[in-house]
Order: sequence, then C-alpha cells, then structure tokens
Amino acid sequence: MKVGLLEKMLAILRRDLLTTIRYRAALVIGGSAMMVEIAAFYYLARAVGPGFRPEGSDYFPFLVVGTGFYTFVVAGMAAFVAAVRDAQQTGTLEVLMTTSTRPSVLVLLSAVSAFSISTVQLLLYIGGGLMLFPVRAPHPNVAACAVIFILSLAVAVSVGILAGAMQIATQRGGAILTLVGSTTWFLTGALFPVSVLPGPLRAISYMIPITHCLQGMRMALLQGASLATVQGEIAPLTIFVVVLLPVSLVVFVRALRQARWRGTLSYY
Amino acid sequence: MDAVVFEAVTKTFPEPRRFFPRQRRISQNATLALLNITLSIPSAKVLVLLGPNGSGKTTLLKLASTMFLPDTGRVLVRGADTVRNADRVRRTMGIAVANERSFFPRLTARENLEFFATLEDVPRPARSARIMRVLDNTGLTDSADVQVMKFSSGMYQRLGIARALLKQPSVLLLDEPTRSLDPNATPQFWRLVRDFADGGCTVLMATHNFDEAFAVADLVAVLHSGQLADLWDVTRVHGVEDLRARYFRTTGEYDLVSELRARCTS
Repeated sequence: MKVGLLEKMLAILRRDLLTTIRYRAALVIGGSAMMVEIAAFYYLARAVGPGFRPEGSDYFPFLVVGTGFYTFVVAGMAAFVAAVRDAQQTGTLEVLMTTSTRPSVLVLLSAVSAFSISTVQLLLYIGGGLMLFPVRAPHPNVAACAVIFILSLAVAVSVGILAGAMQIATQRGGAILTLVGSTTWFLTGALFPVSVLPGPLRAISYMIPITHCLQGMRMALLQGASLATVQGEIAPLTIFVVVLLPVSLVVFVRALRQARWRGTLSYY
Repeated sequence: MDAVVFEAVTKTFPEPRRFFPRQRRISQNATLALLNITLSIPSAKVLVLLGPNGSGKTTLLKLASTMFLPDTGRVLVRGADTVRNADRVRRTMGIAVANERSFFPRLTARENLEFFATLEDVPRPARSARIMRVLDNTGLTDSADVQVMKFSSGMYQRLGIARALLKQPSVLLLDEPTRSLDPNATPQFWRLVRDFADGGCTVLMATHNFDEAFAVADLVAVLHSGQLADLWDVTRVHGVEDLRARYFRTTGEYDLVSELRARCTS
C-alpha cells in the first residue's frame, strides 16, 4: 500500500515548517529585516515623489510587489539548494534516496515545500507593506494573480531543481543562484520598469522568465488586469515551464545517478 | 532463493573530470573499492562482513542499498536488480548507515521517524504503532519527544536502526550498528538481529567486532583490499578466538590484541 503524494508533500512541508519555526532567532531577524526593507522602499518612493508612476502604478507598491516577488523566486531557489546542501552535509541525502519514494518525486516535493515557506514570506511582505504604509488600495484580479503565481512558482521550482542538480554534481549549486541573482536583479525590473533599459538589454530582459513574473504580477495585483490582458506574460511563462520543468527533473535525476556511480552523494 | 546476490561486482570511485560524463569510464586514477565480488546471502540468514578499514564493507552495503551503482557485475536484492529495479529494491530493503547524524536535528526522534515512515509508504493507520514499536526495540521510547540535536552518538545510532526497521524490511543492511552503543545495549541488539533473522529477514552487517560477528552471524565474509578473501559458515567456527585467528590468518594482518594478551599472560 502506498502513501499518497499529498500526504508526502504535507510531511515534507511539516518538516520544513517545524525546522524554520525552531530556528527562532533567524525567524525574528528575517522578519525585522523585511520590515526595515519595506520602510526603506516607502521613504525611497516618497523621496522620488508622486510624479514617478512606473507602468501606471504608484512607485511604492511597484517596488514592494517587484522586490517581494523577485525575493520570493530567488529565495525559494536558494532555500531548495540549501536543503540539498544541508542534506549532503548531514548525510540525510543518501538515506532519503534509498526510501520507497522515487528520488524525482522527492525532489519535486522538496522544491515545492521550499517555495511554500517563501510564499508565506511573500504574502507577509506584500500584505504587510501595503497595509502598514498608506497607499491607494490596489484592485487585484485574483484569477490572474493566481495563474501568474502558479506559473512563476513552476519556473522558480525548475531553476531551483537545476541549481540542486549542480549542487549534487559540483557541491557548489549556490554559484548558479549567484549568477541568476546578480544578472536578473537589474534586468528583470525589480526596482524600475524594464522599459527604461536600452533596446538590447530590454531584449535580454524579455528572455528571462522572472521579468514576465514581475510584470504579470504587477499588472494583475496593482492594476486589476484580467487574464486576457496578462496573456502576453502568461504565454512566455507557460513555454518556460513546459520546457524547463521536465528538463530540470531529467538533469537532476541524471546528476543523482552520476553521484551514485561516483559515490559522491554525500560529498559537500 | 538467495535474498542478496553480488555477481562479479567491481566498484571504483573515479576522479572527478566532467560534470556529466556520457559514459562510465574508469580512469587510471580511480580508487578501487571492490574487485570482482561474487557472494550470495540466503534468505533469513545473517551475513557479517569483516575486514580492515577501507576493505570495501561499506561500499558493499551501499551497493545493495542503491546508494552506489556497480561499475561491472550486478547486485540483486530479492531478485530485483539495484540498477534496473531500484524502486523495487528500495521497497524491500532497510539500511542503517554509519553516519550517525543523518537526521533533521531540530525535529524530535518521533517527528523524524514520522517523516521517514511517510516516505517509506508506511500507511497512516499503522504509522504510530510502528514508530512506537521501533522506538521500543531500540530503547528510545523515553527520548521519543527529544529533539535529536540533543542526542548522544549512541542514541543517534539507535535511531538509525529504528529508521531502518520502519518499513519492516525483508533485507536489513547494518553498517557497524553497535559502534557507539553502551555495553548493556549491545547484547540486546544482537538478540534483536537474531530475532529478525529467525522471523525471515535477511541481514547483511559490517562490523569490526569479533564477539558481535560470532554472536549474530550465520555466515562471515572477510573482505581485504576490495576482494572477498574468505567465507565461513559459523557453525564450523569454534568460538570467538577461532574466528579472530582465522581472520588474521586470512588478512595477513598483525593481531596486536592477541599479542598483548599473550605477553600479559606470560
């Protein structure tokens, strides 16, 4: 008799949640840092003045949604790679790979769990930011927000799994995240609209899925754009997901197989 | 039917060259771990692996657990190939690794076991009772709700054994399972291993302890420099001292303990 996927997902989520909660100091420091960052963005937006309305929104909600969502994607990837690295260091990776649950399923569920905790942080970040500081109340389109969110999650899970594969193959998966983080920070429009970038950089920007995640989420959340309106973001995100997710899983399983052959599953 | 079969298994650990090499190539710099091992373990028997450090005992266990893949030859667990039918092997086999800290430190022993029981497909209605039973088997009932980061080495080792027993495996792989156990717990554990074997479970166990080997084994295999140096039926071994003497004769190693004993006596 097999245990269902949902139950396994919940078991992994519970493990990650309990671990996060029990590192109390880190939780408090992280929450405080989040509040300080939101306050800094609020006063930055005030200093810039109400005349600057990127993509038709006030600058403060533009910043909160952009940086919050960007952090959600990158921090979720980092959390997953950290989970793989910790599992290598403690030796749990070897044991996990010998359980009755297929390694590919385990990896996918672990990645989703890593992003679930990032989702809570995202909700606190955006919700807290928009509630704590007086801004014009946004009129979100819930359906469009949900679709963009799910696609963004799938993209981020895929890149996270690729980074996890690199962590297993080279013991330095963080390198891929550094690359993703540093190059996408200014190219994806977390702080400013990509329309101000010069043409060639703008073209590169549109080839990065996070750009479409941020644009789609801002349109749906801050302008109440419908599903039809955000189709220009949904279509490229769907293509990225359809290609990236299976590729990342295949690469991960291959990296795992190589590690089993090389005997490096617990190297770090 | 033999429960675990190693057929001409060779295992090397290659030097890292490429991220994802297209095929398995054994480079000249590779470390040879096992060479042409052929060994069968009948069902419901305990086979103990003896051998010096680096002789390949852990590698053999990890090959049977699917953690490692063989370069050549094949490993069958209950008839399933560890490469082609890894999923089937994982469902029948439990392993207690020598790495004591392979748990989630901020979770309690019970929470760790609940997590692994779910991944091991232990059905929810049976889970609590199963966890209580393995905690009881390993003497951890009183520490069930303690975060494992507070555990001693011996407690970690007991928990590792408890985890291996969760899915009621028909093949149990144990890597130096009593290394950190206290003297009282060790004989209890030996009895537990014998009970498993008597109940139909096949046990493959690596150890350096001759008393342990003699107490639990039906068969003793000696590994030396990655090769199977000898294999004995324990019914033909006349006590622990005979086992020790055979081992040192086979491996050609210097028996310091016997030498010191002889000097003290004289």
